[in-house]
Amino acid sequence: MAQSNISRRQALAMLGGAGAATLTLSMPAIAQQSAGRVVVVGGGFGGATAARYLKRGNPKLSVTLIEPAKRFYTCPFTNLYFGGLRTFEQEGHNFDDLRRVGVQVVHERANDIDTKAKSVVLSGGRKLPYDKLVLSPGIDIRWNAIEGYDEAAAQRAPHAWQAGPQTTLLKKQLDSMPDGGLFIIAAPDNPFRCPPGPYERASMVAHYLKTKKPKSKLLILDAKDNFSKQGLFQDGWKKFYADNLEWVSRAKDGKVVKVDPKTLEVETEFGTKHKAAVLNVIPPQKAGAIADRAGVTNQSGWVPVKPQTFESTQVPDVYVVGDATIAAPMPKSGFCANGQGKVAAAAIVETLAGRPAPTASWANTCYSLIAPDYGISVAGVYSVVDGKIVEAKGGGVSPREAPDSFRKLEAEYGVGWYNAITQDTWGSRPAA
Amino acid sequence: MAKLSLTKAAARARRILLLALLGGGAAVASIETAAAQSPADVVVLAGPCASCHGPDGRSPGPIASIAGRPQTVLLEQLKAFKSDNPPPGTTVMSRLAKGYTDEQLAALATHFSKISATAPAADAAKKKGK
Repeated sequence: MAQSNISRRQALAMLGGAGAATLTLSMPAIAQQSAGRVVVVGGGFGGATAARYLKRGNPKLSVTLIEPAKRFYTCPFTNLYFGGLRTFEQEGHNFDDLRRVGVQVVHERANDIDTKAKSVVLSGGRKLPYDKLVLSPGIDIRWNAIEGYDEAAAQRAPHAWQAGPQTTLLKKQLDSMPDGGLFIIAAPDNPFRCPPGPYERASMVAHYLKTKKPKSKLLILDAKDNFSKQGLFQDGWKKFYADNLEWVSRAKDGKVVKVDPKTLEVETEFGTKHKAAVLNVIPPQKAGAIADRAGVTNQSGWVPVKPQTFESTQVPDVYVVGDATIAAPMPKSGFCANGQGKVAAAAIVETLAGRPAPTASWANTCYSLIAPDYGISVAGVYSVVDGKIVEAKGGGVSPREAPDSFRKLEAEYGVGWYNAITQDTWGSRPAA
Repeated sequence: MAKLSLTKAAARARRILLLALLGGGAAVASIETAAAQSPADVVVLAGPCASCHGPDGRSPGPIASIAGRPQTVLLEQLKAFKSDNPPPGTTVMSRLAKGYTDEQLAALATHFSKISATAPAADAAKKKGK
C-alpha cells in the first residue's frame, strides 16, 4: 500500500516537475541545496572513491569528506617498503585533487553520528547534517584478543596493519635488527583486512633479510591452516626463501595466544614459546569504531549491508563500504573498497534523483609481490543474485605452472594497478 | 611491417562491414539486450575497469589504456580473453573476462569506445599549445 502511494506521489511530482526544473536552472544555489547533502567519513580507498564518484555522478550534490589525515598512506604497497623496494612516501596521497573536483575536505575526526537527527559530530565540535551518509571506517584492532597485546604492546610489537606510524616503527625495528635475529609474523584467523597481506609481507621481509641480513630468519605463526594464494606463495618461497622463511600452520601449533611485549616472546595454543628479535603481531580485527557509534555493526563486530547498494541493513541512509563490511565472497581489499565506493555513490546519486539504484557489479584483482620481478595475483568478478553477493565463474589465481616472464609481467601489472587505482581514488600521479 | 598491418586492418574492416551487412538480425537482438542495461548500469559495470586501466580507462602506467579504442577492437580482445585460447601474454584478463556475459562485454566495449582517449584537461592544454 505505502509503496503504491509513494509511486503515485512520485508520478505526480514528475508531471508537475517541468516548471520546477526551469526554476532551479535559474537558481543554482537552490538547485545545489535540493540535490542533496552527502557526508563521507574516511578518506581511504572506499571513502575517497565514493566522494569522487558522487561528484562525478551529480556535480550539484554537496559532498563533504571527513578525514583527519592531510596525507593518507595506503596499506597496499607498504610491504614493498619493508622489502626495501619503495619509500614510505610513495604510499602517501593527499586530497588536493578531490578538492579540485568539488569535494569539501575537512581534516577533522568524526567523533559521533546522530542517525536520528542525521548529523555527524566532528572533533572540532561542529555538527554536519546529511541526507545520505557514507562510512568508510576501515578496521580497528581487537586489543587483548591475544593475551598481552594491547595498545601499549603495539609500540613494542607493531601490527603495522593500519598504514602510518606503525608502519615506520616496524621498518625501523627491521632496519636495526642485528643479523642472525628472528623476525616473527603472527598471522590472524579469518576474516581480516587483506587476506594475502601477511604472506606478501613475509615475502618482502624475507627478501630484505636475504639481501641485507643473510643469517637472519623469518617465522610465520599462523592462526589458520590455509591462506590466500597459498600454493603460489609456497612455490615462490621454495624458489627464493627456502633457507630463511618458515610457515607454521595452526594444526602445527602456529596460533599465537599470548604475547609478552617486554621480552618479545610469544606463546602458541599448545604452549610452544618463540622469542623474536622483531615481533609483528597482526591481531584479530573489527570494523572501525565510528561504525559502532553509528549503530551499523552487528555482534560479529563487522557491518552487514544490503548487497545492491551497500546501505546498512540496520540504519537507513547510512552506506558503509570497504574492509568494515560483511561482503564475502568479496575480500577485504583496497580494490573492493574502491568498487564498493562506486556502487554506493551510484546508488545514492540515483536514489536522490528518484530513480532506482543501478545494478551492482564488482571485480577484484589483488597482486602480491614475492620477490622483485616475481608477482602473483588473484581475481574475481562479483554480482548480486537472489539478494546475495556471488562470485561469477572464472576468476581465481595465477597458474601454478608459469614461466618467469609471466611472474615478471604480474609484478609490473601490480605497479600499474597501484598507479591506476590511486589516481582513480585520490587523483594521485606517480612521481616521474 | 607497417604495410602488412595495414593490409590486416583493411581485411578486418572488410570483415566487419560484411558482418554488419549480414548481421541485421543479430544487431537488432543485441540492441534489445543492451536496452535491459540502463546507462547507469553500464557505468557501474565499467567501474572496476578503472582500478587497473585508470580513470575512464586512461592508463597512467604499464597496463593498456582502453579509452577511445574502436568498439570492435575492444570487443574482439575481450572475447579473445574469455576464450579457451587467450592471446599469448595474457595474465589476469582471461580470468576476469570469464566472469562477464557476452552482452556485458559488448556493453563495456561500447562504453570505453565512446570515451575520449585523452583527458579533458590534456585536451585543453594541447589547444593552448603546451
